[in-house]
Amino acid sequence: MKAYLFVLVVLLSGFSAGVVYGFINFVTTEPFLDSAIELENRADFQSGKEKDTPEFRAEYNAYRYWQKGGMVLAGGIFGLATGSLFGIVFAYSRKSLPGKHDVQKALVLAGLMWLAVFMIPFLKYPANPPTVGDPNTVVYRAILYLSFIAISGLGALAFYKLYKKISKNKKVLAFVGYAIFIGIAFVMMPQNPDKVLAPMDLVSGFRTMSATSVTIYWIINAVILGALWHRFQARHELQKELG
Amino acid sequence: MSQSKHMTVLDSKVPVSAVVILAAVFGFGLFVVGYDQGHLLSLVIGEQAFKDLYIHELTHDMRHAAGFPCH
Repeated sequence: MKAYLFVLVVLLSGFSAGVVYGFINFVTTEPFLDSAIELENRADFQSGKEKDTPEFRAEYNAYRYWQKGGMVLAGGIFGLATGSLFGIVFAYSRKSLPGKHDVQKALVLAGLMWLAVFMIPFLKYPANPPTVGDPNTVVYRAILYLSFIAISGLGALAFYKLYKKISKNKKVLAFVGYAIFIGIAFVMMPQNPDKVLAPMDLVSGFRTMSATSVTIYWIINAVILGALWHRFQARHELQKELG
Repeated sequence: MSQSKHMTVLDSKVPVSAVVILAAVFGFGLFVVGYDQGHLLSLVIGEQAFKDLYIHELTHDMRHAAGFPCH
């Protein structure tokens, strides 16, 4: 496979999966986002900050229309970004991943990356709907979240290197090592400073849907990348054979 | 080594040019979706971008859905 084809395959698979992920969110997380924002509206009405007038509703609906419209576009950009990282790691690790077909290999890698750069950080810093989060701490929270993703991801990479170096009967030590490493990091990293004051059924429901949707995204990205990779790699090998 | 050979992806030899492009897409995309608070548009429309927050609002729902701190 040529380099430009490699880039195209990675971007196409990430973007496609991201757009599908954006549409999935209309069903999964959007109802919770609407409920949470309506709670914010009610709080504003009660405090006298806003009045529930037709003008307010018209402005609010236009604002939400812009935000909801952005879900699919932002999903595509999210897919391009996350898919690019996935594609780079897949290119470097493909030969050592278990599985006969590239889709199998991509699914294995997606599972590992989902765990390292999504689920473990998510367990420490779970997604929150609007109404949760003090705007004054957003930069601090962003640094915490990104730092933990980097710690977990780079830690997984380091232990993968170790996994490749050690003998076959000791490979389990790499998994144990990563578990200890990330367990310590999990405890050492500071807590989210903001208290959750929103109804817990709303927050829990949102978090469940958020995690489910991201998980589906990783599966879709892996299936598309693996399928495209397999197709173009096979074509490239055939061309080489034919001279 | 010819250009085409140099640009060929082998499992053991991933081309640096492709990795650099994808790494740039990763960094830029992550910033747009997860962290921009008017920074990008401020390059075009100046300080007003930090008040309008167009990109922030456009990616608002995805930020929450994907787990990024939003506000």
